[in-house]
Amino acid sequence: MAQISQTQAGYYGASSGHGAYQFTSLRDIINAFLVIYVGEDKLISKISKTDVRFHAQRALQELSFDTLKSVKSLEIEVPSTLQMSLPQDYVNYVKITRTDSSGIERVLYPAINTSNPTAPLQTGSIGDEGFIDANADGAIDLQSESDTWTAFKGQTGSNVGEDAYNFDTDLFDLFLGQRYGINPANAQINGTFYIDELNGKIHFGSSIAGKTVTVKYISDSLGTDAESRVHKFAEEAMYKCIAYAVVANRANMPEYVVQRLRKEKKAATRQAKLRLSNIKLEEISQILRGKSKQIKH
Amino acid sequence: MAVDVNKVYQRVLAIANKEQRGYITPQEFNILANQAQLDIFDQYFYDLGQFLRVHGNNTTFADAVEMLKEKISTFEKYNTTVGSGVTLPTDLYRLNCVRFNSVEAELISLKDFYRIQNSYLLSPRDEYPIYIRTEGSIKVYGHTSATNHALSQKVSNVACDYIKKPSLVNWTYNVVLSNAIYNSSASDIQHFEVHESEESNLVYTILKFAGMAIKDPSVYQYGAGEEIKDIQQEKQ
Repeated sequence: MAQISQTQAGYYGASSGHGAYQFTSLRDIINAFLVIYVGEDKLISKISKTDVRFHAQRALQELSFDTLKSVKSLEIEVPSTLQMSLPQDYVNYVKITRTDSSGIERVLYPAINTSNPTAPLQTGSIGDEGFIDANADGAIDLQSESDTWTAFKGQTGSNVGEDAYNFDTDLFDLFLGQRYGINPANAQINGTFYIDELNGKIHFGSSIAGKTVTVKYISDSLGTDAESRVHKFAEEAMYKCIAYAVVANRANMPEYVVQRLRKEKKAATRQAKLRLSNIKLEEISQILRGKSKQIKH
Repeated sequence: MAVDVNKVYQRVLAIANKEQRGYITPQEFNILANQAQLDIFDQYFYDLGQFLRVHGNNTTFADAVEMLKEKISTFEKYNTTVGSGVTLPTDLYRLNCVRFNSVEAELISLKDFYRIQNSYLLSPRDEYPIYIRTEGSIKVYGHTSATNHALSQKVSNVACDYIKKPSLVNWTYNVVLSNAIYNSSASDIQHFEVHESEESNLVYTILKFAGMAIKDPSVYQYGAGEEIKDIQQEKQ
């Protein structure tokens, strides 16, 4: 039952496709599920391929959000606009980092106290607010950018070294931590960002201009056929997720069967997450060797 | 794997002619033979459905489902090209599977067809093609291209597996001195295509029909009785 169909020379000589053995494609999972789980004398006697395809894709999405490893990232140099478009297959970010001169990624923190609100042009004649409709198309005209955003990006950068560890972020320079006690989230020089979900843009603080920024994010693994695949550690979890979803949505299915599959699904998902956590004894041991140090930074 | 048409005809004649009850002409026989073959063939599918509902056994030649599948397999045709992606084979009896680029397409009802197109998870792709059946033909759909996922009808590389109709049985003969003499080397001879195990069934079924044709109730009763006995034996 050998699975490898490529010669060693073919594999190592290829320019791409290395490491693909650790994955199973979504199409293989759907086909295997239809053959093994569906049929006479089986739990699911009959089902359409479309149903299985739907549940398989949903299972892959859910596993991508919580269980599978996040491997997607996008690195750009922040332009003078201090904006970056969200990646094409972006669902949520894991972290956004700035790369310092040593190549170390420094985590940017979200600026939760700002945003980019919709800002209509004023000083016109419409309503008490004096909105403007220059084209007379019924839609009031908007400013190119909101005052809030203009003010946020207009913050001057700190003159401390970007690799310094002992300064808070420039936006909060006035609050040196003496009057009220500084918020630890702001006690860093790495920089800040916020995400304008409505327009699909990431806005950075002015100290990030021209810096290299990396967005590490999660997708739902359905963007392209090439990425519609599952790590073999999570293959069983996929089958269990599909089986549970199919059975749970069937009429006249005994509840004990549904519950059995629910438990199996949860156990398989947990096991997949544990395996994919990549816990290695030697690495853990090395980290734990620091436990005896009294002061750690 | 065919039942000799002459063997069946001779047996039918032997039983029907017993005690000078009547004679079945070759033309009558050919008509009745086709009717009998279709009758038996059509019953396979209902029987299969019935036997799939009961527990089988692991012995291939004694399991009712496996036996029926073997009988049906004689008529199964594999990977036949669907003309222009639309036109089904003329000898089609039941459609089994449609494929586009060797990927199995799924039959979708017209009701779901329009709904599926607007679903981002379910819209047809070349890797997950669908097909609909309309007016005796099919239409297979996938996507337009890797960068355009709009619905696209496929007009080539469409193939199907299906169960064909049994060919029309023909007992061929030459007339010699006003008698029909069997001609086994005629180009248009056609034996029964049903499984060899159906030989007795064919005789009984033809006799049943012949009994009605020659207006002899005893022939009909004999054929029908034997047929029932056979069915009871198979299905008990």
